[in-house]
Amino acid sequence: MSSISKFQLSCKFLLPILVVIPMAISCAPGGGSTNSTSASELSGTEPAKGKIEVVAFKGGYGIDFYQQAAKDFQAKNSGVSVTVTGDPHVWEQLRPRMVAGDPPDLMYPGWGLDHWKLADEGQIYTLDKALDSPAYDGQGTWGSTFEPSILKLGQKDGKQYVLPYFFNLQGMWFDPGVFAKHGWKIPATFDGLLTLCNQIKAAGIAPLTFQGKYPYYLIENMIIPWIQDIGGIEAVNDLQNLTPGAWKSPAVLQAVTMIDTLNKQGDFLKGSVGLTHTEAQTAFLQGRAAMIPCGTWLHSEMSATMPPGAQMQYFLPPMVTGGKGDPSAIAISIEPWMIPTKAKNPGGGIAFFKYLTSLDEAKKFVIQKATLMSIKGSDQVQLPPTLVEPARLFHASKTIYSYIARQWYPAQETEIENALTSMLNQELTPRQFCDRAEAAADKTRNDATITKHHLS
Amino acid sequence: MDKDSIRFSPAEQTALKRADSHKNPRRKSKRNPGRSMFIALYLAPALILYAVFVVWPLIQAFQFSMYRWSGLSNQSTMIGLDNFRALAHDDHFWNALKHNIWLEIVIGVLVVILSLVVAHALIAKGSSVKWLRGVILFPQMMSLIVVAILWMFIYNPQFGLLNAIFGALHMPGDQKTWLGKPDTALAAVGIAFAWYAVGFYAMLFAAGLSGIPAEVNEAAELDGAVGLQKFFKVTWANLWAMKRIVAVHLTITVLNVFVLVFIMTSGGPDRATDVLLTYLYERAFTDSNFGYATAIAVANFAVAMVLTLIILKAIGRDPTEARDFKRLKT
Repeated sequence: MSSISKFQLSCKFLLPILVVIPMAISCAPGGGSTNSTSASELSGTEPAKGKIEVVAFKGGYGIDFYQQAAKDFQAKNSGVSVTVTGDPHVWEQLRPRMVAGDPPDLMYPGWGLDHWKLADEGQIYTLDKALDSPAYDGQGTWGSTFEPSILKLGQKDGKQYVLPYFFNLQGMWFDPGVFAKHGWKIPATFDGLLTLCNQIKAAGIAPLTFQGKYPYYLIENMIIPWIQDIGGIEAVNDLQNLTPGAWKSPAVLQAVTMIDTLNKQGDFLKGSVGLTHTEAQTAFLQGRAAMIPCGTWLHSEMSATMPPGAQMQYFLPPMVTGGKGDPSAIAISIEPWMIPTKAKNPGGGIAFFKYLTSLDEAKKFVIQKATLMSIKGSDQVQLPPTLVEPARLFHASKTIYSYIARQWYPAQETEIENALTSMLNQELTPRQFCDRAEAAADKTRNDATITKHHLS
Repeated sequence: MDKDSIRFSPAEQTALKRADSHKNPRRKSKRNPGRSMFIALYLAPALILYAVFVVWPLIQAFQFSMYRWSGLSNQSTMIGLDNFRALAHDDHFWNALKHNIWLEIVIGVLVVILSLVVAHALIAKGSSVKWLRGVILFPQMMSLIVVAILWMFIYNPQFGLLNAIFGALHMPGDQKTWLGKPDTALAAVGIAFAWYAVGFYAMLFAAGLSGIPAEVNEAAELDGAVGLQKFFKVTWANLWAMKRIVAVHLTITVLNVFVLVFIMTSGGPDRATDVLLTYLYERAFTDSNFGYATAIAVANFAVAMVLTLIILKAIGRDPTEARDFKRLKT
């Protein structure tokens, strides 16, 4: 026993030496440099041919729609073979493939792959030229078939790197059945919300819950819309453009104080700060909380576990009286698709995505998956009940914006989310939260290794 | 004292030679090179696999830790020890390491104590012991993901078992957010880990306890050793080999606890449960900073090495071997 242990021990001492010597003579992971390479462009008119490999994130909407579309596309294009594979953690499979230079021809990696960094490193094609090519049905250019406010969310420095497919509206949800039973109404103002919360509490229900383990739900669905309400879209842009002092602006302080007020009034379901998204959303659907912040994917995500009789309806966070912002403004997020520069058949990838974004396919997706699409006119169908209000609000909106900073500066946003958790645990005041968020933004500003983005 | 300077009887000298030749196989191999080749041939497949799948990735980890690399393409920049310099000034890294050390000490000791208690029950006789043997490894049979979800239900502030018990007993703690508050979250995750781990280490200790010769226990009892005195003077000392295995294995397992923390808290609230591997994951997959994340992996490896060496040193050599040698000398 003793001699074996000594042998193991000497191996452990030798290991660093074994490691250091080859390390000194070894080369870089890829031997390249960090210089961003400009990707060549695709014309968008390449004929569909050969094998087309599509890899898609298998989230709440599944990949069955894309697989069926692949079969239809094959039937319309002889000699073409399209394979669509996906997984709920598809980015974990895509990452090594990107490094190895063996990516698919078209990919929708979901939220786990930093597509802006892929763009920085020249790993995905710019698609401006392709968007100028004719649309699938020949009616105008391909780019003209997209909602412009949604399409521009896939741009960086004026270039189109990723294309939207379906998109989500950020906001809040309530159960119209429960509200009708108690005679409650969604208020128009924050003061009205405070009054409503008192009424709901009097009925023995928690007014609100939130996905505490993932604080960005609260940030993106309530805090950012309130910052826009109070300070206008400029206040949100200042945050994203890393403008010094933006996180200490009166608009941010007031929006965060509103969350703090709700928290201190006891309007959040007890223990929400420790709940996962599914736990909090289940609490809402079970009637233990009357309202919840969430994007428009909520119905598809929870439909399998919805208790009988539960309903949900979307609404925008109640406005702040006297705010500078656009009351019709809506924060949205897109689900990006892209073509890797090292794809073997990028033209085939473009051709298939053109087909997927054709009006007929987009309408089918809206009906089957109950989500809004980035294709103009795709909601001119019999909309599922949960989609009626989001569609109405989207068309009535004069300002469409997106809080993309979480994708651009993930380390900074993690720090801000952590600060919010501490504020919800009443360990930080709203002002201290702003100080900590500003310090995080300052760190990003001063870090030369982080690529900076700018919104105009 | 050098054993050559002591006078031994011829029989003892033969025994010592035998022991020496057994302890140092190199002496024999010099006499018989064919034997070395034979052993090398048998060891080669395992060594090659170990080199390709363990040593080489380890070397690569050291290599990558010296690059700025997003892990999204093969573009990278050699930055020398910059990642390690940044790590030295990274509060989040030290915070995560502090949590690792806390888990090592508090939860590690808790697991050892509980395992010893359960191990004593396992070697006892009776029908309830059979039942205990049947269930004690249940948590080990479950995936850690299932364990995490199970304990998330137990800690749920709305309908969790723990709050229900506190409520039924009218104790403070009712409605507590165990995983959402920084003062309880790390302990809550640690207890879930202890629940998962105790069965395995109890089995190891039970094997160790069974290996203690009956005459040793009888002699101790005849000499009047009972209870804790007998445990510390006899049982604990005789568990030398098993203690070493348990301590090293447990240290490395606790250091590499990731799944439980990741699923139960994601390192939150506000990094109150962050450990080195959750922080590594965050830097690699959320921030796309694989070079820095690899530097954290290297640091994690170094911590494991240091802790292992400390444990091996602290537990020291086999007391029974020392005793045999002492007997030979006298």
